[in-house]
Amino acid sequence: MVDVPLINKAALALLVTFAFGLAAQGVVLAQQGPQLTSIYRSKLPSSPADGAWKDVPLAEVPLTPQMAIKPTLLAATVSSVSVRSVNDGAKVAFLLEWADSSRDVSASRQDLFRDAAAIEFPVGTDIPAICMGVRGQMVNIWHWKADWQEDIVKGYQDVVDTYPNFYKDAYPGVNILTATPPFRFPADFDTPAARPFMIGWQAGNPMSQPQRTSPVEDTNAVGYSTITHKVKQQVDGVGTWDQGVWRVMFVRALQVEDVDAASITPGKEMPLAFAVWNGANQEVGARKQTSTFLNVTVEPAGENAAGLGAEPWVFIVGLALLLAAGYGAFRLVDRMERVSTGTGHEQ
Amino acid sequence: MSKVFNWQINREMDYPYEAAPPKKQFGAVFDINKCIACQTCSMMCKNAWTSGRGQEYMFWNNVETKPYGGYPQQWDVQALSLLGPQTWNGNTYTGKTLIEAAMAGTDGRPVVGYTPDALEWANPNIGEDESAGLIESGTYFALPHPVWSFYLQRVCNHCSYPACLASCPRTAIYKRPEDGIVLVDQERCRGYRECVRSCPFKKMMYNIVTRVSEKCIACFPRVEQGLQPYCTTGCIGRIRINGWIHSPQEADLESPVDFLVHGRKIALPLYPQFGLMNNIYYVPPIHVPTPYLVQMFGLGVEQAIQRYKEAKDDPETLGVFMLMGATERWVEKFRVVNGEAIGYDAKGDEIARVPLKEPVQIRQNYDASRLVFRHNTP
Repeated sequence: MVDVPLINKAALALLVTFAFGLAAQGVVLAQQGPQLTSIYRSKLPSSPADGAWKDVPLAEVPLTPQMAIKPTLLAATVSSVSVRSVNDGAKVAFLLEWADSSRDVSASRQDLFRDAAAIEFPVGTDIPAICMGVRGQMVNIWHWKADWQEDIVKGYQDVVDTYPNFYKDAYPGVNILTATPPFRFPADFDTPAARPFMIGWQAGNPMSQPQRTSPVEDTNAVGYSTITHKVKQQVDGVGTWDQGVWRVMFVRALQVEDVDAASITPGKEMPLAFAVWNGANQEVGARKQTSTFLNVTVEPAGENAAGLGAEPWVFIVGLALLLAAGYGAFRLVDRMERVSTGTGHEQ
Repeated sequence: MSKVFNWQINREMDYPYEAAPPKKQFGAVFDINKCIACQTCSMMCKNAWTSGRGQEYMFWNNVETKPYGGYPQQWDVQALSLLGPQTWNGNTYTGKTLIEAAMAGTDGRPVVGYTPDALEWANPNIGEDESAGLIESGTYFALPHPVWSFYLQRVCNHCSYPACLASCPRTAIYKRPEDGIVLVDQERCRGYRECVRSCPFKKMMYNIVTRVSEKCIACFPRVEQGLQPYCTTGCIGRIRINGWIHSPQEADLESPVDFLVHGRKIALPLYPQFGLMNNIYYVPPIHVPTPYLVQMFGLGVEQAIQRYKEAKDDPETLGVFMLMGATERWVEKFRVVNGEAIGYDAKGDEIARVPLKEPVQIRQNYDASRLVFRHNTP
């Protein structure tokens, strides 16, 4: 046994500590599944392009085509979505980013379908069944739609937006003394005689309402075919497309007064699922790609970056064990040296 | 999947829902022989229902010329291509229905179909009056015509086993139990357009402004008041009549549609091989060669044409044809008595009375009471 100087004993002790630390962390992580922390910041990023998102840790969530129920998607066109989240103690923002080579923002032609993305939250504490929940396990789905986004940015997409050279000189109920062909929806059509022809609008269908305030639809579901527009719409957001990438930000208050809305509590963990639709592939409804669960913990107010990802006591105990192991290693090497150089028998 | 019986193909078939026959089924007979393609039916429907924003391209009722026309273009050619071979063994269809073909296929949908692109919906009357073939020197009229075309009037068939209803992931399409009329719940639809893709007749139409889908509603507000739909009552040629249609075993031969379909077998369904048990029936055109018609209306074509040619000597059959266009009101029952066809409403009150043969009046060349000559001036 060679003479081991003090500095080398310290280095060896550190190495042992590090090795144990890595192993312990690996065990902890493996038990918890894919993780994300909604980082606390004093101010939410203002847009998807806000530079403040850059140092927010992300989770890359793989997506697979929905094949549990017809109509199915045969092959995924989007393979993953990256998810980041920031909260400021009052509101939470999620940023979803995914690759999509075409910006499909119109559902205003018989053969056009729009891009969309959704986040699914459990309502209550039960883990929801993947895909839409189940009776007794409601989910709250925030569904961002690219055509609703375009409606807000450019005004509700009308026939003239799809067909710029379109002309029609009269419609029942449209006042041709005050309105000019080819007219504009909804302004020129909001009369008792004209409205019933646009029966989706008249019936209050959320798809048909021209005055949009949010590009995100707040919905509930209790299983396949049950997605329902919530009475109280409490989710806002914005999505932008740039050079083949959609960046969509969803924003909502952490706590809302609604028993059917997701309750997002700092310090608590919740399993979230994601879905993406690629309009260019005529994806809509059940024809989508979905993810498995991502465990998201909302970092409480006042904590810094690098979330813990586990209960504090785990780290206190773990740290004590690591220090003990490091000291033990140091002592062991020291003892081995003493034995080999004969500088002493027992302590 | 459930097993349901489809009498048009004389066998059981698969359908996603159990058979739940309505109390009464809305039906109609269109006499192709009398249609002049004036498109009044299309205009009646357009004015009543599809004059809104986003509906500009929609014709819930349309009249297209066969063989080259179609709205949307080539809808039937594409539907038949998707279905594969359509074989019959006598009355029994031995090929696959649209749903059975989807079950055997791999495209992940409950019904085989396709989504027409925007251009296919344009030019609704393309192919109008185009004949099948060229007229060579020496061609002369014969029956059937050596060079032929005919008009096909189409509305939603309000099928007993609708493809649209089977394909909606949200059960947003329903069939009314009181009259079998198929409707889209305008609150529930989210514009997925599976129904547009699935309907082989392409009578489900997506509103490009409201972003939900719409279809022929069988003028149900009129039907509820004991009136026939606008396309029927507006028809100049008086080619249409509505009535309740039943299965062959339950046919009410005093009801006009049941009588023509089951009694005389003079009216046939369109493309029964789709397996949807559609409820609009057609009297096939007698001037068109049989092979083309068999593909559309099945093997009963020759008999139907023969019966139509003999109708002038069959007072009951003639009576139903005379009642076409004779009243705005729904004819529950009819009778032919002493050379007159009489129609009755649900209460049994007489609502129409039409002679089978138009009375002849002779008007003298000189009107002695008015001291004028009558002129036969066009």
